[in-house]
Amino acid sequence: MTAPRRLLLGLAVVAVPLLLALLGPLFAGEPGPRAASFTLGGGHWLGTDFVGRDVWQQVLHGGRTVVLTALAATALAYLVALPVGLVSAVTHARRLEELLMRPLDVLLAVPSLLLVLLVASVFTPGAAGLALLVALVNVPDAARIVRAAAAEAAARPAVEALRMQGESWWRVAVGYVGRSSLRTLAADAGIRLTGVLYLVSTAAFLGVGVAPDAADWAVMVDRNRTGLFVQPWAVVVPALLIVALTTGTNLLFDAALEKSPRRKGRRP
Amino acid sequence: MNDETDPTTPPEPVAAIHGLRVEIDDRPIVDGVDLRVLPGTVTALVGASGSGKTTTGLALLGEYPPGARVTGEVQRPADGRVGYVPQHPAAVLNPARRVSALLDDLARPRVRHLPRPQRRTAARELVLRALSDARLPDAEALLRRYPHQLSGGQQQRVVLAQALLLGARVVVADEPTTGQDPVTKSGIVDQLAAVAARGIAVVLLSHDLDVVRALADEVLVLRAGRVVESGPAARLWQAPRHEWTRRLLGEQRPAPREEAPADPGLPTLHVRNLTAVHDRATTVLRVPDLALHPRECLAVVGRSGSGKTTLGRCLAGLHRHHDGEILLDGTPLPRSLRHRGRDRLAAVQYVFQDARAAFDEHRPVLHQVARTAVRLRGAGERAATDEASATLARLGLPEDLARRRPGELSGGELQRAALARALLAHPRVLICDEITSGLDTVTRRGILDLLAALVRDRGDLALVLITHDPATAALAHRIAVLDAGEVVEQGPAGRVLTEPRHPFTVALRETIDRLGTYTRA
Repeated sequence: MTAPRRLLLGLAVVAVPLLLALLGPLFAGEPGPRAASFTLGGGHWLGTDFVGRDVWQQVLHGGRTVVLTALAATALAYLVALPVGLVSAVTHARRLEELLMRPLDVLLAVPSLLLVLLVASVFTPGAAGLALLVALVNVPDAARIVRAAAAEAAARPAVEALRMQGESWWRVAVGYVGRSSLRTLAADAGIRLTGVLYLVSTAAFLGVGVAPDAADWAVMVDRNRTGLFVQPWAVVVPALLIVALTTGTNLLFDAALEKSPRRKGRRP
Repeated sequence: MNDETDPTTPPEPVAAIHGLRVEIDDRPIVDGVDLRVLPGTVTALVGASGSGKTTTGLALLGEYPPGARVTGEVQRPADGRVGYVPQHPAAVLNPARRVSALLDDLARPRVRHLPRPQRRTAARELVLRALSDARLPDAEALLRRYPHQLSGGQQQRVVLAQALLLGARVVVADEPTTGQDPVTKSGIVDQLAAVAARGIAVVLLSHDLDVVRALADEVLVLRAGRVVESGPAARLWQAPRHEWTRRLLGEQRPAPREEAPADPGLPTLHVRNLTAVHDRATTVLRVPDLALHPRECLAVVGRSGSGKTTLGRCLAGLHRHHDGEILLDGTPLPRSLRHRGRDRLAAVQYVFQDARAAFDEHRPVLHQVARTAVRLRGAGERAATDEASATLARLGLPEDLARRRPGELSGGELQRAALARALLAHPRVLICDEITSGLDTVTRRGILDLLAALVRDRGDLALVLITHDPATAALAHRIAVLDAGEVVEQGPAGRVLTEPRHPFTVALRETIDRLGTYTRA
């Protein structure tokens, strides 16, 4: 598949859940009277859920928390990981590198879901708290990848040549090393967003960060799975939306990373 | 190597090419090449990089670049067995398997006719014989190693052994000596001569004329995909008919050396009791005393791993772990370039061996070159760009080329750009690390002439040439010879090259003589 076609496909796949999540609440309207649980028809074109609410309305309401939490958590994780990884890759001071990276290794050793559940049981965080928490467990991974990608670039003669020219630290570290690691980091960001979505959904599924009967795609999958064989839409639609979001994001990042066919260098 | 063929009956060629034409996007890479490969002889294809040597060589294997349109006739050995020894042999050895496994795989089909219990020992014997034919003596120890545990030369010989095991009747060797020091080079020459002596046809693709001269029976000179001249090596060297051949062969002779300045005065750079360490423990270099005067060119020669590059990096402030003093005009230089400040950073500049790796691949070359003047001399953006493009033009790099990114320039062009980048600092000391290795003779001569002109014209410039190429060293006024991290000999170039004292220098001198590079002007 060519890059532009993949880009279009990715956009199409990601647009459905993203638009539903961001604009859905505007169009949802007033919740109607509750009907019987797990029914089909009767004016509910996706049926009703476990407490008799309209599934379509729930879908419209339930995306915002998942999507915004995941996006915020990924952005936050990189906000910390980028400077930490870059500094520890470029610095010559071994001690500074140890100081920056070792504490993260400790965090890395704790399973992320366990950490989320543990903190959640102590503090009962809201959506913002969940985003912070998920970002925190992603920082060590992201920082290590930033450092590994940057360390390779920082060891190239080009960095020494730039230093020989008297270039500033910023220009060497960000302008060259950061830029050279961009492809690796973009690929990682695509995967990381998927991982974060998975973690946020799992946390919501386990009741962390959202109320047990909240309109939330992940909660919907959890609560409605008892009626899966009676009324599948209440599980399938939110699940499909989450899948579309992750698949679409990865397609988008792939297309963005695929180099446009540039002229090849002259080779003997 | 020709002596084994019977003079009465003309030998049948094992492979031949008639009127080969390879085009990519309607642009011919190889155009009308004819080639006859005779058993037991060495046929050399010479020419600058990009002249179609590799494409022609690969055609003997039945390989063509992707998307190429091929016309003409390629007659390959009946059993199709052609060995190929690439320039970077590591690329064709599976890194996950030991040498023994790599060779056994090829030996096993050849012992299939034997009863099962005998196969193992028979295969092992074949392997050992192939290794000794490829001139790898201590084979037993080597078989247990992985490819990355071998030196480049050993890897090359393992690939050669693979070709011999296959029973190849033609071996194509692509630039086998590029980037090797003279001693290793002469080993490779011996090894290829031994292969030819066994009746195998060797096709040598090279721009290293010393090796071609020492080995080849037949030579084809290629230029831009066409054969400009071909004939027996001896005839070609004595009476080249084509103008291009004459140029290619003529470029080899070293330029007449400029006389050293009469009154050296105060040294620009003075090294005292330098001891450099790697990993804070291993001493890799010891230089008790070394001085560099203005308008002087100092060549630092030695085998790879002798500490030449470390010396250059110490001077440039790129290798911080050393004791002793480096004085610039009598004042000590800080060890790390980070503490050198703008003026002293500009005063000592370093040109990297691998020019491609030393450029930022995302930005145009011109812009990167101009940055030196902006950062180190405080020039304005416009003035710096103008000066950069003037300097690049003087080094033979037109502006439209300089506006491209490094990926679109050839190795020789990038090397000149790297030189321009250092020169824009208006340095007092310029350190050039192997900047001509891997370039063909014409390009190399061009760069060496440039350097000679620079020392002559720029009043106070002093040059440090780190090299293992004797032709490059011949440019220098003084030579320092390094071996295993020690300065074993230093003095005026004429004296060191004509009356070498240290055994290593003597050995170096002998290999140079054997390969016939150094011709005294």
